[in-house]
Amino acid sequence: MKAYIAKRIAWTFFATWVTLTITFLLLDFSPISAAGAEFVDQQVQQGMDADEARELYQEQLGHGDTAWERYTNFMVGLATFDWGWSSMYSQPVVDVIANSWIYSFQYVFPATVLSVILGFAIGLYSATHQYTKEDYAATLFAFTGISLPNFWFAIMLILIFATMLGWLPTYYSTDVALLSLENAKQLILPVIVLSTAAIASEMRYARAESLEYVHAEFVKTARAKGLSENQVTIRHIFRPAMVPLITILVGDILGLLFAGGYVIEVIFQIPGLGLVSYEAIIQQDTPLVLATVLIPVFIAIIGNLVQDICYTILDPRIDFGDR
Amino acid sequence: MSTETHTDGTRDGHDEITFEDVDWEEFDGGLEWTRTRVAAYLTMGGIALAWLLDSLYGSRRDPLVDYQFGPVEFAPNPGNVEWLFTLTLAVLFFYCLVPLYQNPRRTKHYWKEFKKNKAAVASLVFLVFIFLVAVFGPFIVGRPELDLANAYQPPVFYSYVPGLEGGTWEHPFGTMQSGEDILQTVVIGARVSMMVGLIGCLMIVVLASAVGTTAAYFGGLVDEVLMRFVDIMLTFPTFFLILFVVYLYGGDLFTIILILGLTTWTATSRLVRSEALQRNEEQYIDAAKNVGASERWIITRHLVPNVSNTIITAATLAIPSLILYEAVLAFLGFGDPNVWSWGRVISEGRGDLQNAWWIATIPGVFLFLTVLAFNFLGDALRDALDPRHE
Repeated sequence: MKAYIAKRIAWTFFATWVTLTITFLLLDFSPISAAGAEFVDQQVQQGMDADEARELYQEQLGHGDTAWERYTNFMVGLATFDWGWSSMYSQPVVDVIANSWIYSFQYVFPATVLSVILGFAIGLYSATHQYTKEDYAATLFAFTGISLPNFWFAIMLILIFATMLGWLPTYYSTDVALLSLENAKQLILPVIVLSTAAIASEMRYARAESLEYVHAEFVKTARAKGLSENQVTIRHIFRPAMVPLITILVGDILGLLFAGGYVIEVIFQIPGLGLVSYEAIIQQDTPLVLATVLIPVFIAIIGNLVQDICYTILDPRIDFGDR
Repeated sequence: MSTETHTDGTRDGHDEITFEDVDWEEFDGGLEWTRTRVAAYLTMGGIALAWLLDSLYGSRRDPLVDYQFGPVEFAPNPGNVEWLFTLTLAVLFFYCLVPLYQNPRRTKHYWKEFKKNKAAVASLVFLVFIFLVAVFGPFIVGRPELDLANAYQPPVFYSYVPGLEGGTWEHPFGTMQSGEDILQTVVIGARVSMMVGLIGCLMIVVLASAVGTTAAYFGGLVDEVLMRFVDIMLTFPTFFLILFVVYLYGGDLFTIILILGLTTWTATSRLVRSEALQRNEEQYIDAAKNVGASERWIITRHLVPNVSNTIITAATLAIPSLILYEAVLAFLGFGDPNVWSWGRVISEGRGDLQNAWWIATIPGVFLFLTVLAFNFLGDALRDALDPRHE
């Protein structure tokens, strides 16, 4: 197992390197990444002093004249957390990220916990009560949840609960303290929107996985020797089903939550990473765009690593050759 | 599939050919020229040629033809997306509808399985309706136009204050802040969503089956390189990959569709590979190898058709996410500014929730129902086409 984990970590580094190289190539070939001279020209045209513009260019991530120079600068810059200068905020990109992540975390974290607990619970219940009314209702909910466009759902909730009923605020306000009732109140809608899609897709997986074990021989045996229904469900159905479920947690759910969070932050004006990224795209602040795109990528890579290691610990039959 | 061939006019029938007579070299290289295949190639080649000619010599402003049938005006001036959409429709016709028509027994069997799922049948009806609206609607209801005199007309049966004059049938879904009719934007939006969904789906089918079956058939280093690449692509959260590439290269709808297709095929290709690996062990593959069939022949004639159920199901289930990705991009304002996508209309209505709820609500209902219908359909297809799946 140690050899496997070592191999897995080595692969993570390799994958990160390939991902970053692809990112660099995408960036370098695009019309947006202006090479040195063009960048300086652009800034001068916008009324900046030529020397100042050259200085600003030196602070860009991945600056240089030849492609190789740009590539090495890009990689070294990323590795040393020197991610460039955000012209929109007039701050290093790393500082902008450091200031805004908490706003994303404060609602993504509760939404994740909520969706994991509810999603698994409903999925398990659905599987053990297959083809009952509750199961059909849950399936209908799941389909609705995965089909609801996040952004439209958010707008509809704002329309009903903020505009028409006036119970909740329309926009997020940064005036209140992070740990206050007011803040919790203005996070209700974002958490609901974000967790609906996640609950729906998790319960579908949970139901499908659990169904594999509902009719298994060992479950019958467990019942025959007189275990209570709850014990059977939790110890003999949920436990083996949990192993593959961990896989989707990182791959699908993280992606879902991040993508959902992006749109939600734009709609509710929560100043987290998503809104920063959105504004950076509008303002064409490339270093900041790059950083806000790479953070979910890094989290996904690390998440995949942790998930695979958990997987081997939970189910020792798996080795690196299996995919 | 019919066995008619017209490779050689002088040979009458094929009852005189014995196994020894077959020139495997020749048979291997060429394809069976059935009537449908010729028709398919001619149609698709014609569309591709017309596309090429139009983009080379066609003027951007003038429509190809201009007919007026009463209120209906037919004056197509296709851009790249429209050409690609036509090509997709031709592929859909020749590789989906024609085979279904030619194999009535199998079609009946699939239909019997499919019919059990009432939600899926309703979804299919709804999607056929949306599809027809998407293809013919814009020519019937016209395109949305700026009309400041008619801003903020409410939909029919609704008025701002009870008793006051409400919406009229002239604008059944109401109008937007600059007077565009919402019915017209919904119809154009349906077209955009169908284009994104179907073209993207076709791209996924082509890329995923090419990569998946190649990896499974050759195995070894080819498999390793292709699948490791897919692994890495899959780690990259799709939404951010799309966002990043659209930021760097985006702009018009054509580019966005290409980007969507090129970034979403990986999950399907992995599925196709694992399915093809199982098929690869079957005896008919060995039999084909033993009679000396080439690798290309085995992949295109034996592997791809036998994993086609997996491919179709996975691609159908990819359509809703493609449509949602496009809608989100349009909503955020990174879409094509010249195209009335559903996402764009919703984003325009976002600022008017107080006084004009219908702008954001109505296109969203259609978006939601379309995505829901595709999800139901994909799920039912999986049940009907894949006998091993419960």
